[in-house]
Amino acid sequence: MIQIENLVKRYGNLVALDHLNLQIQEGEVFGLLGPNGSGKTTAINCMLALLKYDRGSIRILGEEMTPDNYRVKQQIGIVLQNVAVFDELTVYENIDYFCGLYVREKEKRKQLVEEAVQFVGLEEFVKTRPGKLSGGLLRRLNIACGIAHKPKIIILDEPTVAVDPQSRNRILEGIQELNRQGSTIIYTSHYMEEVEQICTRIAILDHGRSIAVGTKEELKNMIKTGETVTIEGVLLTPEQILSVRELPHVFSVEYEEQILTVRCTKAEHNLIRLLHYLQEQEIPFGRVFSELPTLNDVFLEITGTKLRD
Amino acid sequence: MTVYKGYLRIIKRNMNLILMYLGIFMAITVMFQTFAEEGNYGNFQAESVKVAVVDEDGGAFSSAFQDYLRQFHEVKKMKKDKALMQEELFYRNTEYIVRIPADFFDACVKGGEKLQITNVPGSYTAFYVDQQINSFLYMAGVYDAAGLTEEEMIQALGDLEPARVELTDGSGTAGEMPAYGWFFRYIPYLFLSVFCYVMGNVLSAFHKGDLPKRMQASAVSQRRQSMEGLLAAATIGAGLWGIVILAAFLLYGKRMTGSPGLAFYLLNSLAMLLVSLAVSYLVGMVVGGKNMQNKLNGIVNVLTLGMCFLCGTFVPLDVMSKSVKTVAQFLPVYWYELVNEYLVEYDGMAGSMRGQILEGIGIQLVFAAALICVVLALAKWKKGRV
Repeated sequence: MIQIENLVKRYGNLVALDHLNLQIQEGEVFGLLGPNGSGKTTAINCMLALLKYDRGSIRILGEEMTPDNYRVKQQIGIVLQNVAVFDELTVYENIDYFCGLYVREKEKRKQLVEEAVQFVGLEEFVKTRPGKLSGGLLRRLNIACGIAHKPKIIILDEPTVAVDPQSRNRILEGIQELNRQGSTIIYTSHYMEEVEQICTRIAILDHGRSIAVGTKEELKNMIKTGETVTIEGVLLTPEQILSVRELPHVFSVEYEEQILTVRCTKAEHNLIRLLHYLQEQEIPFGRVFSELPTLNDVFLEITGTKLRD
Repeated sequence: MTVYKGYLRIIKRNMNLILMYLGIFMAITVMFQTFAEEGNYGNFQAESVKVAVVDEDGGAFSSAFQDYLRQFHEVKKMKKDKALMQEELFYRNTEYIVRIPADFFDACVKGGEKLQITNVPGSYTAFYVDQQINSFLYMAGVYDAAGLTEEEMIQALGDLEPARVELTDGSGTAGEMPAYGWFFRYIPYLFLSVFCYVMGNVLSAFHKGDLPKRMQASAVSQRRQSMEGLLAAATIGAGLWGIVILAAFLLYGKRMTGSPGLAFYLLNSLAMLLVSLAVSYLVGMVVGGKNMQNKLNGIVNVLTLGMCFLCGTFVPLDVMSKSVKTVAQFLPVYWYELVNEYLVEYDGMAGSMRGQILEGIGIQLVFAAALICVVLALAKWKKGRV
């Protein structure tokens, strides 16, 4: 459905996209994950033909994407990072206006607008101006303006930034519902939990390059980490830290401010072995956590830096 | 026409602001017009000067000379008394004293001697009396050279009549600028100010945050968006033009409707309307971001006041230097004011004048078209910068 090949975009000496390659299939919820400045928004802007790029090609729905390809634009819905609605218009008028940029028939548009209002749960606020809406409701309006015309492709650029958890969950459920209704979703975020929750396939971007692409399971299988054990309130000597490092399947140990973080390869009973060692040595300890690998671990292992650095 | 309707909805929501601006600038315009009208003095006015004559001759020729002066001025006789003469001049009981010497004809006509004159220092009216006296003595010299006797000469000089001048007064305003002429003269200031503020505020709504991105990513072309925006501007322009012209009709009534140049006044103001709309759309596209209102105030003041001062709205074109006029020719308001001056002065619309008026209006339309091209080019340029 979307093919991006060798896309290069430079801002002077800064390379924002460095030979980016992506293939997005119909019906996917495709996540673009990466830290701020990794090139997610630039990639989106290039896809929408809002930015000229230096090299490469973008094909959407089998056609080359150009600024004047309104046939393709007709099939795309966009939800931008910053809320982009008119303060002077009411909720209903805003959705109607943006839907009107794609759908000319008045009756059909009316129906679509009403469906969009219902979809985002803004029925009570149709006559309210955006200035009087809370942050979460405003984000929902922003989404309604982008999806009202029922596009085949919906691009959401960090739609949950600065949103309360309740609204965030509602937005994420809504995105999954749109996907169930047949839209292909491209979702950018630097929140790995969100991407893990809703995306069927994920591309991890860093410095304008796609460093890993796959399902979340595929991505996690790419790395060594199988389990991360964290133990708080533990006092260890350097010799004891070395001993922990020597335990079976342990490949990384961090000890800082009485917190021990142990990374193990995929194996069973890692936690039991570690606790057994501490008991043997009569070392007291506080809370204990065991986590399966996250996308942050994937990013950390591939790039050597944390996702939110 | 979604974009067009969107503009109209936003304009509707800003209606209070629009009416406020219209009210403010309309009041300023009427105020300017009132002040300007009060300072407007007639172009043609007969001057009658208080002339005193000290007649030392007392003859028939001296008497004929005094009769000649009486055709134009208030003439009274005065004794030859230096103190009295000074007092009369000081209290402005008289403005001009002429001493007729004894043997006036021989001394002044044949001998070419000049009459002794005393007048109020700096009085411009004395210049007219000087001219009339010189004219009388010159004619007397001509008759004398022609061989006329003194009696014949007195008879002929008595028959001399002041030149008659017939003025065509097509506008019926006795050479004065009609009140509606002043109103139309200040229209560029009104249009430019109101439209720049209105369109600045309306267009800023479209430039906020990521809205331009959303618009550009939509299925409506940038060109169509710009054209629908211009159409919306034209709609609001037509509405405001209607209000302004209606106000003019209400203020000046039959004086204005009776003017033979009314159609051209309206046509000229319509051309100015198009120019103002294009300028305001351009301003609206440029102004945005933080401190939008301050930026808008600055640009509107510099633009409107600058153009209006340079192009003859606040200061008449005929008192401006040639170099200022040369610069002003590159601004559309100059051509509007030029046409307005033609209409005020030559209301009758002679053939050649009609051509010049249409030329002035045509140049304004060219300016408007050029500005619209700049708007479209700027919109295209901005599209590549998101």
